[in-house]
Amino acid sequence: MEQVNPTRMELIKKKAQIRMAEQGRDLLRQKMDVLIREFFLLTASFTRSREELEAAASDAYRSLLIAQAVDDSITLKSAAFAARKEIALDVRSRNIMGVPVPVIGKKRLARNVLERGYGIVGTSGRIDEAAEKFETELSVIMDLAEKETAMRRLGAEIQMSRRRVNALEQVLIPELNRQARYIKLAIEEREREDLFRLKKVKKLLQRRQAENGDGGQVNDSEYAR
Amino acid sequence: MNYDYPNARIRGMRSRLLDHRTLDELIRKPDINSLIVELEKTPYRDDIADAGIRYSGIYSVEYALRRNYTRTFKKIMGIFEGQPAEAYLRIFLHRWDIQNVKTILRGKSFHIPQDEVFECLVPAGDLDEVTMGEMIRQPDVRSIVDLLATWRVPYAKPLTRRFPEYAGERNLIVLESALDQYYYRNGLDAVRGDDYDQALVRDMLSTEIDVVNVKTVLRLIRDKIGGQDAGRFLIDGGNRLRRSFLTAMLDAKSLEAALNMLKGTRYGFLADVPPELFKGEKVSEFEKRLDRFLIARGLRAFSRDPLSIAVAIGYYWAKYNEITNLRVIARCKTADVPDETIREALYYV
Repeated sequence: MEQVNPTRMELIKKKAQIRMAEQGRDLLRQKMDVLIREFFLLTASFTRSREELEAAASDAYRSLLIAQAVDDSITLKSAAFAARKEIALDVRSRNIMGVPVPVIGKKRLARNVLERGYGIVGTSGRIDEAAEKFETELSVIMDLAEKETAMRRLGAEIQMSRRRVNALEQVLIPELNRQARYIKLAIEEREREDLFRLKKVKKLLQRRQAENGDGGQVNDSEYAR
Repeated sequence: MNYDYPNARIRGMRSRLLDHRTLDELIRKPDINSLIVELEKTPYRDDIADAGIRYSGIYSVEYALRRNYTRTFKKIMGIFEGQPAEAYLRIFLHRWDIQNVKTILRGKSFHIPQDEVFECLVPAGDLDEVTMGEMIRQPDVRSIVDLLATWRVPYAKPLTRRFPEYAGERNLIVLESALDQYYYRNGLDAVRGDDYDQALVRDMLSTEIDVVNVKTVLRLIRDKIGGQDAGRFLIDGGNRLRRSFLTAMLDAKSLEAALNMLKGTRYGFLADVPPELFKGEKVSEFEKRLDRFLIARGLRAFSRDPLSIAVAIGYYWAKYNEITNLRVIARCKTADVPDETIREALYYV
């Protein structure tokens, strides 16, 4: 146990620390509850998006297969050269109980046939449909990325809060309680010793007075000695 | 012109095209490898063997089909060498030049590695591999156009004319559209004469222009692009559908309304489809019907004058149909598509 001064001041200080630690623990628990609730909301939404992604991906690959089969893979590849384009994302952040999570600005990823960059003649509606479905898939992927990052961050924060609550509950508060109890016992012990000592002195003085014959009266000057 | 010998050879080549029974056997193959083994028993044997050295699986089949296609048409050009029919047939092969130039321009414009661009080229037209290799090595789009002009390649004309517009917008569609317009205009100009061969090629090209225009209109309507912006993608020279009619179609509010306008024309069959096709706005379904129509029309050339270019034109479409069907079967085999679905997807008519 940490060395502590068994004084009344120290006891008051320790009691204040215990109150503070318990308040901190309660706040952390409340924060954890809110984070867990947000986490489960996100999980439900993530599962929905995941299913949406699977459907979008399978749809996109079916369209790609048809386009490759009918138009030839080199025609598709050639069209894909022209359709290459960087996607500028607007990523901001929002706070959930002090945890910053990303918010990806929902940019319109779907392009029309003229925006894709390839000419109309020499390509086909099959290629357009495949491109459009992959653009849809990309939107869902971005949505998932946003949710997954938020879930990771919330998960990490929940874990950290739990560790803090555990540390407060299992280590700090019991330790402070032990110290407070130790101080209290030490003060009580000292009080008992003082009382006993006083009683002993009183008895000694009374015996001396009885021997001197003054009727057992003890005056102030005797105590002072 | 004497067509006896060339047409006899083309009829011989036609007899070696795969029939429905063979295609059905290929469809029944369980996977791509057994399909390749089966193709080795067909006239594609040499191409499959050559492709097997470079690629495997579906890539080897696709490479073999492209190689066979190129080889076949080089052979036909050899049969007609020095005769007017050679020039008429070349019109159909020039579309590969257009496709190759577009691919090179796209590759250069978006800094695609040279090898990757080269893999996407099909040397079936006038531009050989050396010319295309040199084009790919140019540093930018401007240099490619300059190179074509220096070598007096005809495709330099439309590109040079529209280059200033491209330089301003940096939009490749401008150059691609110029190439497409040039291809069809040049093709039609080459067959302005009155003789039977020229009339036949002209009819085929004009029908194709109609089909291309209808497809363009449908794709633009689906993406809600109208007005002047849309009109510049239409190609002049169609057989039945005039520009004014197509522009009116572009103003239609929906695919259904646009297709209903085709009722009473040769393309009225597009309006007689299940209503769910309109709701889904799947342009590919309408394209499939148009492609089938075009192939059927091309194949009908076989039943025309046997001592004319009709036999070669019929063969061109039959070969195109066969190659497309084989590619569909091969691709579907890689994705475990049910046999019945493959049969529905096939283009043969």
